[in-house]
Formats: sequence, C-alpha cells, structure tokens
Amino acid sequence: MDIENTKAQMRKGILEYCILSVLSKASCYASDIIRELREAELIVVEGTLYPLLTRQKNAGLLSYRWEESQQGPPRKYYELTSEGREYLAGLDKSWDELVESVRLIRNR
Amino acid sequence: MKITVSINLGGYSFNIDEDAYTELKRYLKSLEFNLAGEESSAEIISDIEARMAELFRARLTGYKQVITITDVRDVIAVMGNPEDISDKEGMSSGAKFTEPGAHRMYRDPDRRIIGGVCAGIGAFWQIEPWIVRVIFIAVAMAGGLGILVYLILYIVLPEARTTAQKIEMKGDPVNIHNIKEAVKREFDNVRKNMNL
Repeated sequence: MDIENTKAQMRKGILEYCILSVLSKASCYASDIIRELREAELIVVEGTLYPLLTRQKNAGLLSYRWEESQQGPPRKYYELTSEGREYLAGLDKSWDELVESVRLIRNR
Repeated sequence: MKITVSINLGGYSFNIDEDAYTELKRYLKSLEFNLAGEESSAEIISDIEARMAELFRARLTGYKQVITITDVRDVIAVMGNPEDISDKEGMSSGAKFTEPGAHRMYRDPDRRIIGGVCAGIGAFWQIEPWIVRVIFIAVAMAGGLGILVYLILYIVLPEARTTAQKIEMKGDPVNIHNIKEAVKREFDNVRKNMNL
C-alpha cells in the first residue's frame, strides 16, 4: 500500500469541505482559496481546486460573478449560497463526529 | 536563437518558445483527456488556462518577454498533474460508454490470419486464437461445412476497429481508464518496434 496515495485520498476528501469553509468567511477568488489552504499547510496542487469549484457551483453550493481585474481578463469571484451554508453546517457536524470517533478509537 | 510561437492563453497573448509550446500543448491535451468524463470539463479547463495565464504573466518582466520551457514546467508543477486534477472516483461512476461488462463478439483485425474470425472468437472466450483455428480446421476437414461457417461468421461479425470495440471484445468495461491503458499499450508497442 502506498502511503502517499492514502494520504492524498484523505486530503482530497476534506478539500471540498475546506473550500466551503474558506468561502463561508469571505467571498474570494480561486487563488485566494489556494493561498488560505497553503497557509493552513493543506498541501494541494492548484489544479485540483478547479474541478471541485465547478462541481460545487453546478450543485448550487457556490455562485460566482466576474470581477474586472487591473491586470487583464476578468476573474471569477466566488461566494457561498444559502444552500452552501446549510451544506457546510452539515459537514461541520459530520467532521466533529468523525474527529470524536477517531479520538475514541485511538485512545482505546 | 529559437523560434517563438504566439498564443492566446486565457485571453492573454504570449510569446512562447517553440519547445515550451509543445510541452504546454501536451499538458493541456492531457488535461482535456483526463477530464473528458466530467460535465463542465470545458469550463474547468478554461479556469485552469486562465489561472496558468496569470502565473505566466507574473513571470514576465520588462526584460523577460518570452515564456520558456522552465516557466511551463514550473507552472505545471504548481497546477498539478492531470491525473491528480481529475477525480478518478467521480469518473468511473459516470463515464461508462456501454452497459457495464458489455461483451460482444467482433472480428479481431490485430491478430488475424485471414479475416480475424478465429482471433475474435478467441478474444470473446479468452482462449488463444490458434486453438480456435485448430477446431475450425478439424471441423472443416471433417465435413466441409467449416468453411461455410467461417464465411458466414466473417460476414456477420463486425470488425473491431475502435479501441472501445477492442475492449468490448474482451468483455472489459469500456471507461476512460481502460481506453487510456489500451492506447498506452499500443503506443508502447509501436515504440518498442521502432526502437524509439
């Protein structure tokens, strides 16, 4: 078993959750989300973000508007929708439950 | 001195070294291929291209005017490998092109001697073609109907031309992963035969 692969799978799973969490604090650009994740030491390549953002947008969890940029072509400015906030609340609860379960298992 | 190519990436115009262009093109094609099963794949690729353009722009200064292969490789490292970007879990549920396990008999043009009938039958039942040929010849010698059966099968069975059909012939599920593997194998075979 490849530990790097397992680690990557773990990270990929929580990435969607983290994207929603970042956007719940403030609306921003994709590059801002990446920066926040990096600051939190969640190692992920930028490219993985884009399919997830689009999928969440298609599911109605996010919306975006085009923002003009001084440096050229307009960029997508993402924000959480109300469904997105509800969805995030569900994930928050689920995360807390998981953390607690793992804690109990580890401390047996 | 090198030749440069002029490209439009994400709405920006860039001058890019020819070798850098080739590598960038290969990366974008690979992205396209890996994301083919996703809905909105065009939108995702467009977002990625726009972001890559931003990163390239940040590397150009008044003095540095051309994107080099080093720039392309660095930006690709930031964006990630196409395999990492595409979500393989999502794809295997969404990207089946035939009913799962569709298993049809075709004539196999890659392993044929005359018409690929025996090779196709062999592929369908996962037995070596020569076994099927021996049976055919034995039956033909015994009664003469064998040749007629062969001709009928030759007419009735379609030839497996596309990669998807060749996979179906063996009964494997036809999805992006298997097609990719099959094409890779073909490519490696050609490369071996040409000693590249």
